[in-house]
Amino acid sequence: MISLVRAELRKYFTTRLAWSMPLAMAVLGALFAALQGLFLAVIGEFPSPDGTMIEPAAMFGEDAVARLVYTGAVQMGYLLALVLGILSMSGEFRHKTITATLLAAPRRGQLIGAKLASIVVVVAVNALAFTAGSILGGAITLSIGDLPLFPDPGGLLATFARMVLVLVLWGLMGFGLGVLIPNQVVALFVGVGVTLLVEPLLGLGITFVDQLADASKYFPSQASMSALDLFAGIDPSLAQSLGGSEDALSWWVATLVLLGYAAVMAALGWILTARRDIA
Amino acid sequence: MPAPGGGWLTAGMTTRSEGTGISVQGLTKKFGDFTAVDDLSFEVAPGRVTGFLGPNGAGKTTTLRMLLGLIRPTAGEALIGGRRYAELPQPMSTVGSALEATGFHPGRSGRNHLRVLAATHGIPDSRVDELLDLVGIPAAARKKAGGYSMGMRQRLGLAAALLGDPDVLLLDEPANGLDPEGIRWMRGFMRHLAAEQGKTVLVSSHLLGEVEQTVEDVVIIANGRLARRGTMDELHGDPAVLVRTSDPGALGHALESAGLSAALDQEQGPDALRVGTGDLRQVGDIALAAGQPVHELRPLRTDLERLFLELTESPEHRNRNLSTGQEAA
Repeated sequence: MISLVRAELRKYFTTRLAWSMPLAMAVLGALFAALQGLFLAVIGEFPSPDGTMIEPAAMFGEDAVARLVYTGAVQMGYLLALVLGILSMSGEFRHKTITATLLAAPRRGQLIGAKLASIVVVVAVNALAFTAGSILGGAITLSIGDLPLFPDPGGLLATFARMVLVLVLWGLMGFGLGVLIPNQVVALFVGVGVTLLVEPLLGLGITFVDQLADASKYFPSQASMSALDLFAGIDPSLAQSLGGSEDALSWWVATLVLLGYAAVMAALGWILTARRDIA
Repeated sequence: MPAPGGGWLTAGMTTRSEGTGISVQGLTKKFGDFTAVDDLSFEVAPGRVTGFLGPNGAGKTTTLRMLLGLIRPTAGEALIGGRRYAELPQPMSTVGSALEATGFHPGRSGRNHLRVLAATHGIPDSRVDELLDLVGIPAAARKKAGGYSMGMRQRLGLAAALLGDPDVLLLDEPANGLDPEGIRWMRGFMRHLAAEQGKTVLVSSHLLGEVEQTVEDVVIIANGRLARRGTMDELHGDPAVLVRTSDPGALGHALESAGLSAALDQEQGPDALRVGTGDLRQVGDIALAAGQPVHELRPLRTDLERLFLELTESPEHRNRNLSTGQEAA
């Protein structure tokens, strides 16, 4: 089993993806964290829905602003993590390496276990690059805005750890999707499309249905935001003005929800792979 | 191109036991309404080279893929050394296989492709380099696989098959895409594996001529069903030559006095004799001694060749892959 994980890691580290993906992670992390910092730290004020000006640092405290800036790119991060997960299996079908893979590892349950383990490692490594980029981009704008870079080091460390965890869980969700849709292009299209387009639209749509109004907070993107616990210690109604929801899931429930998604998708991938004919 | 040398295969990988055979019993695979393989049974004897022949689309690849656990049989079983492939403890050390349509990631070098496979079995990188030398692509294998020719891919596939120093080799159309030089090399290679290494080899082909000099046993399938099986000698039947002359009666008499059977071959025309020998020179010499002219002298198709031609040419055995698109050759 360990040797299968080693083989899977070797697969990842012997293609261009091994350096291009962490690079993309770091660059996008830096860019979007800097963008978030531009609004929250450099410009430093923006109009609230009722017309008064909000000054984030004064209103939420420097801790929260730092958290928000450093995690400003998280949507980019988990989308790329999703892509990494998708590629793990759909890449095998696209390049027809699945035959050689299954000949070397015919016990498919073990192969899937090895793939899941390797996704955890690969996404975690990429998430570290992503976090490093985010810290760089965020720190630049925070210092331009004359805000402390690490006001609450312990709290920020916890935030970064949660961010890495969220990315890993998205990677596992991607794995299931890659098995479900062996066509790599379609799988990527569906994965990114659902996350960026379908989920927000659906979330908006169900606000008009009383019985479902609460459901959108369980959606992957919303749960991911909750899992980061960005608005700890902030009045929920204030958090709303920054994009938080008023009755968001607590961070650990949100993490469990994501874990549930990852488990369901991975299990689906497991079952489908075990039965599929490789012709 | 290095010739297969001795000693490299047994580089401390496994100790060989009695030899490992293959057993296929009642094997059936249906893809929807389409029956790709239909109640197929045959055995492959340990330590021999067996040709697995049939027209394109006969079900050869589907059978091999069922043997290797890639496709689930609808019924029956396919065992290697008495076990299903997925039950083999270290599968690549028992069975090496080079299947058609095995892909390589275009951005990964051939060497790294092998290193990935080697990692699954704890095989060291030195073994990878050894095999790349053996199949003659040590330098090219460090380039990305995206630019490989068909011949390179075949050689890389063969190197992958040999990684675990297996007892059994399953080769699916190994000569496809090779140039004549490559085909010669491949033949010598297979003979070497079977004769000197005692390996069991099952090699599929849609061309009889491609393998007939190499294989000892034959399994022929058509339309997913067994058409014929046996040793090469059995299936070839007795050799025969055709000789055309102006007075078949006189030449026939001369041949019979020399101890050869000779008979008029009506299929070939009124002046043709079928002679029970494979020796063209002897027939020519007898004709010369008897003062009979020889208008034509050639070997006749053997039973196996005739059978194979029938199978490949009859319309009911046309390539089913083209019409259904459901089965890979």
